[in-house]
Amino acid sequence: MPKIDRRSLIKGAAAAGAAGAVAQTGLFGFAQAWAQAAPWKPEKGAKLQILRWKRFIQSEEDAFMVLVAAFTKATGVPVNVLNESLDDVQPKASVAANTGQGPDLFWGLYSLPHLFPNKIVDVTDVATHLGKKYGGWVASAETYGKSGGKWIAIPVGYNGNVINYRQSMIEAAGFKEVPKDTAGFLELIKALKGKNTPGGMALGRASGDGNAWVHWCLWAFGGNVVDAKDKVIINSPETVKALEYAQALYASFIPGTASWNDSFNNKAFLSGELSLTNNGVSIYAAAKAEAAKGDAKMKAMADDTNHALWPVGPIGKPTEFHIAYPMMIMRYSKFPQAAKAFLAFTLEAENYDKWLIGAVAYITHPLNAYDKNPVWTSDPKLTIVRDIAKRTLTAGGLGSVGERAASALADFLVLDMFASVCTGRTTIKDAIAVAERQAKRIYR
Amino acid sequence: MTETANGGAAKPARKPLVDESEGMRYLERLPRKLVTVYLPLGIIMLVLIFPFYWMAITAVKPKSHLLDLDTHSPFYTLSPTIEHIRDLLFKTDYPLWLWNTMLVAVVATILALLASIFAAYAIVRIRYRGAQWVGGLIFLAYLVPPSILFIPLSTVIHEYGLFDTPFALILTYPTILIPFSTWLLMGYFKTIPFELEECALIDGASRWQILWKIVLPLAVPGLISAGIFCLTLCWNEFIYALTFINSTEHKTVPVAIVTALTDGDQYRWGSLMAGALVGSLPLVILYSFFVEHYVSAMTGAVKE
Amino acid sequence: MPDAAIPHSASSPTASSRTLAPPSLWSRLKVNRDWLGAWFMLPAIAFLVLFLAYPLALGIAYSFTEARIGQDIWSAPWAGLDNYIWLMGDDQFLVAVFNTLFYTFVASVLKFAIGLYLAVLLNNHLPFRALIRAIVLVPFIVPTVLSAIAFWWIFDPQFSIVSWSLRQMGIISTNIDFLGDPWNARWSVIFANVWRGVPFIAITLLAGLQTVQPSLYEAATIDGASRWQMFRHITYPLLTPIIAVVMTFSVLFTFTDFQLIKVLTNGGPAGATELMATLSYNRAILGGQRIGEGAAISTAMIPFLLACILISWFGLQRRKWQQGEGND
Repeated sequence: MPKIDRRSLIKGAAAAGAAGAVAQTGLFGFAQAWAQAAPWKPEKGAKLQILRWKRFIQSEEDAFMVLVAAFTKATGVPVNVLNESLDDVQPKASVAANTGQGPDLFWGLYSLPHLFPNKIVDVTDVATHLGKKYGGWVASAETYGKSGGKWIAIPVGYNGNVINYRQSMIEAAGFKEVPKDTAGFLELIKALKGKNTPGGMALGRASGDGNAWVHWCLWAFGGNVVDAKDKVIINSPETVKALEYAQALYASFIPGTASWNDSFNNKAFLSGELSLTNNGVSIYAAAKAEAAKGDAKMKAMADDTNHALWPVGPIGKPTEFHIAYPMMIMRYSKFPQAAKAFLAFTLEAENYDKWLIGAVAYITHPLNAYDKNPVWTSDPKLTIVRDIAKRTLTAGGLGSVGERAASALADFLVLDMFASVCTGRTTIKDAIAVAERQAKRIYR
Repeated sequence: MTETANGGAAKPARKPLVDESEGMRYLERLPRKLVTVYLPLGIIMLVLIFPFYWMAITAVKPKSHLLDLDTHSPFYTLSPTIEHIRDLLFKTDYPLWLWNTMLVAVVATILALLASIFAAYAIVRIRYRGAQWVGGLIFLAYLVPPSILFIPLSTVIHEYGLFDTPFALILTYPTILIPFSTWLLMGYFKTIPFELEECALIDGASRWQILWKIVLPLAVPGLISAGIFCLTLCWNEFIYALTFINSTEHKTVPVAIVTALTDGDQYRWGSLMAGALVGSLPLVILYSFFVEHYVSAMTGAVKE
Repeated sequence: MPDAAIPHSASSPTASSRTLAPPSLWSRLKVNRDWLGAWFMLPAIAFLVLFLAYPLALGIAYSFTEARIGQDIWSAPWAGLDNYIWLMGDDQFLVAVFNTLFYTFVASVLKFAIGLYLAVLLNNHLPFRALIRAIVLVPFIVPTVLSAIAFWWIFDPQFSIVSWSLRQMGIISTNIDFLGDPWNARWSVIFANVWRGVPFIAITLLAGLQTVQPSLYEAATIDGASRWQMFRHITYPLLTPIIAVVMTFSVLFTFTDFQLIKVLTNGGPAGATELMATLSYNRAILGGQRIGEGAAISTAMIPFLLACILISWFGLQRRKWQQGEGND
């Protein structure tokens, strides 16, 4: 009996649907032409396996599979897409890198490629080609993608983590919009609690939402784990101020945030229990998707939900921390040319534009030309995440985007420090001391 | 009045008792018994069964009722739905994971039982030089539980090229199962009269023949108990499955439920509970047929 | 495997009239105990050596290196005692040690008390005895991870059935933060662990209770003993051997628990429920992927584990010696 599983079903459906979509959109014609002209000719008999983070939005995955099908049709290279949960991608990539076998391409987050830069294929040629064609790369893309002057990975997309809030609830608390400074933001949170419609941000091991807000908070007050030379400077009065601010916020949060992973705030927000949180646009997208199916409650929710950028702290400029998703080719891959072709193909306008639209703004582009993509004007509530790639600071803060920054993130160094202080498990002084000791070991 | 106290005392003491004699019961009054026995028992049983009930109820509740505790009573549902179970079975890889788990559990159990049968027989009957020591060493294996071994074992699995295959689990689970089932089978083998084997030995049968033709048929209850217990232990194993298996298509049910049933940041709670429920069913079904064997497995192991 | 051939000199009735040939080396070997024993033990020993003893030694070796995930032992940089020295000053590790000891001690005591109580209750003449016993065993049958997921939902900060019920009854006014407050989280996981462990202990102790002769109770009642005195002087001492075995197992499994914590809290909030097993996993596999450090944490578990087991085994056996009983 042929193995019928989700993967084969999706591939079959995607292939069938995609073939139809491809034909309809003329994608096939473009794809063929591209395959002829591209400088990266796939090897004979090439087959690719790519491991990616599991999708947050169904339509994003659907659009991605259309792209994959088009590539296969154009080049004859079959591509098998593996999905793993976000937090599992890094361990798996590390194992593959060290044992020399596994998927050809990995699509991970933050500074994954910098964990093993010498086990990855140089993709400078792909990056230069794309940069020239599409208006240049944003600064953070170069930071995330380059190691030692060469491109080792391409940040194919970013995810914007912004404030999600319920308009009606902040108005009831006396605010027309989310304040643009941290002091005002604290007042908003307090007022929301006063009206019994509290906000809350994740303090459990939530690698997306948790990391986003604690790093924002730390940097907003001038605190940093390391300086530009990778020297540990986390033990500073600025860090203390950041922690005190977080404590004040936590006192007005909905109870339980210390046990939240990335999904709890979605759940609470969509059920009306939470008035404000930080997340990608997936909450709004989920509400809209349910509303499209006729759910009236969700329609009201979608109408009431809006997004705002992070407030600016005493440091005086935005200190946002959005997720970058770099894609890289492993050196042990037998088909590096095919893989490079795939990388380039993904970011070509005819494919990427459609994927951005399918992702309903969950993904932001790293190349400037895509500022003009219609998804940014399709819904004013989504425009806000258009520029996050340009605004984001990088993992490691002031320091290098490398193995050590990746280690610090994976160890939840900053997140645990904030969580310890907010839950009262340790004092501010002790929490900083612990984080400093760990940082020193990582940045030795 | 039924049997006297004397009748009760005359019973042989070593049999596990279902004592139907009057015994001391004439001292107990129903109201008192209600309060001191039935009430606490009822409360404890309620607490023990409630999470399972909760799992079952959540699995059949419609999605919109799940997060809305105030409008719809959480304790029961008037409109049960099978959408979660349907989603689980048809829209995810759940059947594949169930198959993986069963395959690994059954094969590992068979391997472990075979090894244990030989080892138990050797220790109890063959009594080679140093048998007691080796037997003791096997039990010492219990002192090294999976959560201590999983790190080096993962590199060993890589070395042998078994990473991310069911064999990684099939070959490592017996290390958890063998100490227990050897122990259990030793107890069962000891109850088989040695005279039977003596006769066979005199008639010229080899140890091998004795084992297969005489001892094992008599030890079938013990084998069933050990086998069922081993299956339960395999289903319950988590850390090895989490560490050694990477790709979704090879995962077992416990690992897959926790890692693969999510949409990024949205847990499908109904399906999650349905997955937990369906994942428990094979064991519960097996258990309901073999309760006595479970109990004798547990008590037999402990009595040794 | 020795084959099934019958030794030449044994069974045929006409053999007595023939000269007996000396048995061949092979047939002598076949019945030699040590040879047979070795072969019979081979499968079990093979599994245990390849997949238990060797990894154990390897793990201890890794703890002296700074290996990374996927590196084999020979290419891993040597670190000597660095990992251990660093761990001894690591706040997270020390908290994990405390958590593990606290969790093990409290959960074991609770499981023992409640398990014993339940066994005593079940030892009564009850209707539907088999059904009750079957229901009692359910927490043991359901795989831990799956019941942990059910508990996760029961302990949800916003949608807990327990919070909701208590609020409906007017006992509390806000939801209980089961897993977000450090001490609440500790008690919640202990509760889940006790829930899971009580059946095993209860059923095993029940079997032990059932071997106690009723005549002992009858004699004591005639002598005027109260139920409590009967329990303390008859039941408990006779149960001690079984209690020692059961509790040793229980302590062992509680100390090395991984799945319950991993699913329920993943060590949170802020490490308040981190056990040594989960810390070792998070550091070695998930975090910076420092295998050496993870192996050091795992190896550090061994002395603690041994201590707990010895205390529980010998501590509970002590009474037996005091009673003057022999080596049962």
